[in-house]
Amino acid sequence: MKIVMSGIAKAFGTNQVLRDVNITLKEGEVHALMGENGAGKSTLMNILTGIHKADAGTISIDGVERTFPNPREAELNGIAFIHQELNIWPNLTLLENLYLMRPKKNRFGLIDNKAMLQEATAFCEELGIELPLTAEAGSCSVGQQQMTEILRILMLDAKVVIMDEPSAALTERETATLFKMMNKMKARGVAIVYISHRMEEVFSECDTVTVMRDGHTIVTKPISEISMDEVVRHMVGRSIDEFYPERTTVPSDVVLDVQGLQPKGFKHDISFQLRKGEILGVAGLMGAGRTEIMRAIFGVDNHNGGSITVNGKPLKCKKPEDAIKAGIAFITENRKSEGLILDFSIGSNITLPNLGDICPSHVLQKNKLESFAETLSKKLGVKTQSIHEPASSLSGGNQQKVVIAKWVGKKPSIIIMDEPTRGIDIGAKRDIYDLMNELTDDGVSIIMVSSELPEVLGMSDRVMVIQEGRVAGILNRDEATPESIMTLATGGQ
Amino acid sequence: MDSKAMQYVKKLGPLIGLIALFIIISVMNDSFLELSNLRNLLRQVSINAIIAFGMTFVILTGGIDLSVGSILALSSAIMAQLIITGTNPELAILLAAGAGLLLGGINGLVITYGRVAPFIATLATMTIYRGATLVFTDGNPISGLTQDPIFHAFGQGDIGGLPIPAITMFLAFIILWFVLSRTSLGRKTYAVGGSEKVSYIAGIKIDRVKVFVYALTGMLCGIAGAIITSRLNSAQPTAGTGYELDAIAAVVLGGTSLAGGRGHIVGTLIGALIIGTLNNGLNILDVSSFYQQVVKGIVILLAVLADRKKA
Amino acid sequence: MKKIFLLLAMALMVIGLVAGCGKSSDSGDKKSGTIGFSVSTQNNPFFVSLKNGIEEEAKALGLKVKIVDAQNDPAKQANDISDLLESGVSLLIINPVDSAAISTSVEMANNKNIPVITVDRSADKGKVVAHIASDNVKGGEMAAQLIIDKVGNGAKVGELEGIPGASATRERGQGFHNVADKALTVASKQSADFDRTKGLNVASNMLQANPDIQAIFAHNDEMALGAIQAAKSAGKNVFIVGFDGTADAEKAVQDGTLAATIAQQPELMGKIAVDTAAKVVKGETVEAKIPVELKVVTK
Repeated sequence: MKIVMSGIAKAFGTNQVLRDVNITLKEGEVHALMGENGAGKSTLMNILTGIHKADAGTISIDGVERTFPNPREAELNGIAFIHQELNIWPNLTLLENLYLMRPKKNRFGLIDNKAMLQEATAFCEELGIELPLTAEAGSCSVGQQQMTEILRILMLDAKVVIMDEPSAALTERETATLFKMMNKMKARGVAIVYISHRMEEVFSECDTVTVMRDGHTIVTKPISEISMDEVVRHMVGRSIDEFYPERTTVPSDVVLDVQGLQPKGFKHDISFQLRKGEILGVAGLMGAGRTEIMRAIFGVDNHNGGSITVNGKPLKCKKPEDAIKAGIAFITENRKSEGLILDFSIGSNITLPNLGDICPSHVLQKNKLESFAETLSKKLGVKTQSIHEPASSLSGGNQQKVVIAKWVGKKPSIIIMDEPTRGIDIGAKRDIYDLMNELTDDGVSIIMVSSELPEVLGMSDRVMVIQEGRVAGILNRDEATPESIMTLATGGQ
Repeated sequence: MDSKAMQYVKKLGPLIGLIALFIIISVMNDSFLELSNLRNLLRQVSINAIIAFGMTFVILTGGIDLSVGSILALSSAIMAQLIITGTNPELAILLAAGAGLLLGGINGLVITYGRVAPFIATLATMTIYRGATLVFTDGNPISGLTQDPIFHAFGQGDIGGLPIPAITMFLAFIILWFVLSRTSLGRKTYAVGGSEKVSYIAGIKIDRVKVFVYALTGMLCGIAGAIITSRLNSAQPTAGTGYELDAIAAVVLGGTSLAGGRGHIVGTLIGALIIGTLNNGLNILDVSSFYQQVVKGIVILLAVLADRKKA
Repeated sequence: MKKIFLLLAMALMVIGLVAGCGKSSDSGDKKSGTIGFSVSTQNNPFFVSLKNGIEEEAKALGLKVKIVDAQNDPAKQANDISDLLESGVSLLIINPVDSAAISTSVEMANNKNIPVITVDRSADKGKVVAHIASDNVKGGEMAAQLIIDKVGNGAKVGELEGIPGASATRERGQGFHNVADKALTVASKQSADFDRTKGLNVASNMLQANPDIQAIFAHNDEMALGAIQAAKSAGKNVFIVGFDGTADAEKAVQDGTLAATIAQQPELMGKIAVDTAAKVVKGETVEAKIPVELKVVTK
């Protein structure tokens, strides 16, 4: 199946999202679609799959012009979109998820689980993947859920598969399996559109790359004829060397001393220290327990034993409010469910933890709140028309800036950032890195949990590696290399 | 039409509906718009409105309170008993509010510290409080209360042409409007309903906010109970049966989302007025009581349909 | 936007339609001659019969009646009555939900010089030109006497009481005990709120706890009919006496499942109420207490 989209334009209200987009998808080709968030990648794919209607331009499939009225219709015609938010029913088993829309029936018209299980198992074998098909989807990892989704689409005999940031929530191993699946799909003649911010993956797995910026397709080239530097330049007009800002802060006294902390369900104690003005990177494989440690320190989850000392004072941390009082802030990995109230305006989100500080009488003073939010929103470079817009109207990067803003307003001495740049475009990433530097210059200490090695290496003063619920090692900046970190993370010597 | 104007219209929807109701009923029967009937209408609306104000807070946090009618009955019974045993009637009114506060506070504690879903917790206390009322009153109404003029005025009197229950309602409205829009407590009420997780991590004392909203609702039920006691010059053990549904209907008619986090008490006032106007108007139009229920249901349904997000 | 107006238009139509067809006659004028009738509930056939009696007699006499239904809520009844007074009725017939709670409404009518007639239940306070009711105390006595005659002296009986505190409950209970306390053993008495389902449940419990109950006196027929089911599923032969004489109960008496009912005559009560109202409107004097006959219905 060959798809040619030409001259596609689309506007939402006054916002011209796509101007003149041309892209060609070919059989058996992995086509990377790159660009900052807001560049129009998702909108373009939404138009292809019938979620949105184009204002102008044509889509031709194998030479025949056509559009789909809805995603279901597109799927039935072999074009499937795997969104970042997966279409998975967590209360059903993986098998039930696979066959929910088209169950196999036996001759009595009853659902034939045995036949379905046989077919699915055969399919898994063919693709060389292992899935606990009879387990409840909610209890499976994101990677397994995603594979289920891909499997479901392949069973529909998909000819074109669009994947939006498929590796964002996967572990290294799961990512490797994903690539293996992609290769098998390619061999079957499936065209894959691969939307990703991860340069390394694009260059190792894709055949062609198209870069979009501001609703235009800037360049389309075979991957062999383009360099990473060139791609980044097309995306942001900046070269890759400048990507991670230089660290200049010199860490001084210990501000956080964690000794013998045992988060619920952990077999080992966790001990480490954090210095003033330091960025401590926390690396490790998915599921190693990095987030759980942070949640225990902040008091979101319970922990047994151990001591936490903040600025020389012991912290009895049972609830987040205790940690906040001690000067700790926590930017969670789940921006949408734990960081922001999406219905609230940007301003209300920023002032939420700060109400008592801004208005000690607890009677809200509108002008004070507004200037507080306005100042922080400007300081963090949140791109919005007004702080009265709802938080849901912002892109991922700008939402993250709002989450950071609301905590920066608390003037914390320690900020825990869990995956601070996940799913954020390159421009906003750089803004956040700059901000981290500014904060540490002002004497704030940062713990940064991250699954992106380049980010850990580029930003951390020291790197703590967690492996299966224990501290496998803490590396100084000059000791930290991708190899040394991965060795510790995988339990090697 | 752009989305801002659309939102504006949506916000005004309940008000437009109320005005339309007024126009229709007054065209069909001219005694509806007479001053004395409007006063009568306000007096009738006040009890449901006062309860619904509290219910708005509860629903904004994503909860529900089914026990309002039972709290009303129990605090009314307590108040009547106090008066009969010689307590100063004005003090008894305050104590009724206090009793409501306490009963509502128990709801809040069961929900927060007991970790019971609000629907279940208040379903249970609804039954418990109703049973307690029957035990307390021995199933009989408490009557022959007092001739105290202030007590009588609390449910039946007027000041400057306005019924006193309506004045109580407007006072409560102004105070609660202020609390909801202008205090950090109000903001936190929205925050808890908007996302409990976010609020928890932001250091908001969620449990305190919840106990507050249920206690507030309880107190308002106590006040409503005092009004009813004065109005009927007796405490009825079965008073307030089914009032939770009228209160929820008023909140929903006013555009507050049952999922929490979205809505306002202004809408609730209008919602209560719509329900009251329907009751009063349909009576005046001599519509059979069977049809009245059908109409009320249809109006609630239409309001929710109109308020539904763009399909 | 369009949708909102559409919905609004629909809402208006519905109200207009219902107001049009639900109206019993073309009202609106505040001229005298319209009677307001506030009934306690329409969930009970007794009060439906009462309403029918009133409607029919009013039709026969050429009077207009506005009817409001309090749905057993005294606060709603207070609202209903103030609505009736606002719409300008010249006389009120009230069937109170509660005798104490209705007082303020009666006083309100007194202040406006609108005469009030109470039916079935009385008002504790306020001026009432006439009270029309069955003699409930007498009825209770009749029931107890019937059980003594048919089941025997010293029989073990259960009593299903009505809504606690309602005057009918008090009076029927009082009458029953006047006689029963001397000659019968009341093994158990519990409230079933005049409700058939509750009657079934309460009677089942009663029979469970006291398997040797020989007779049950229910304060109304609805509860008695519930008790019949309870006795049937317990496999017991119990002499059940109801009160009111509803159509269902009279049929049950004919079928032999219900031993007897102390029949009130709600339609007659309604008729007498309207007749009395017509006299009051004309300025004639009427009796302050008008008893309505009761009769024992047996097979």
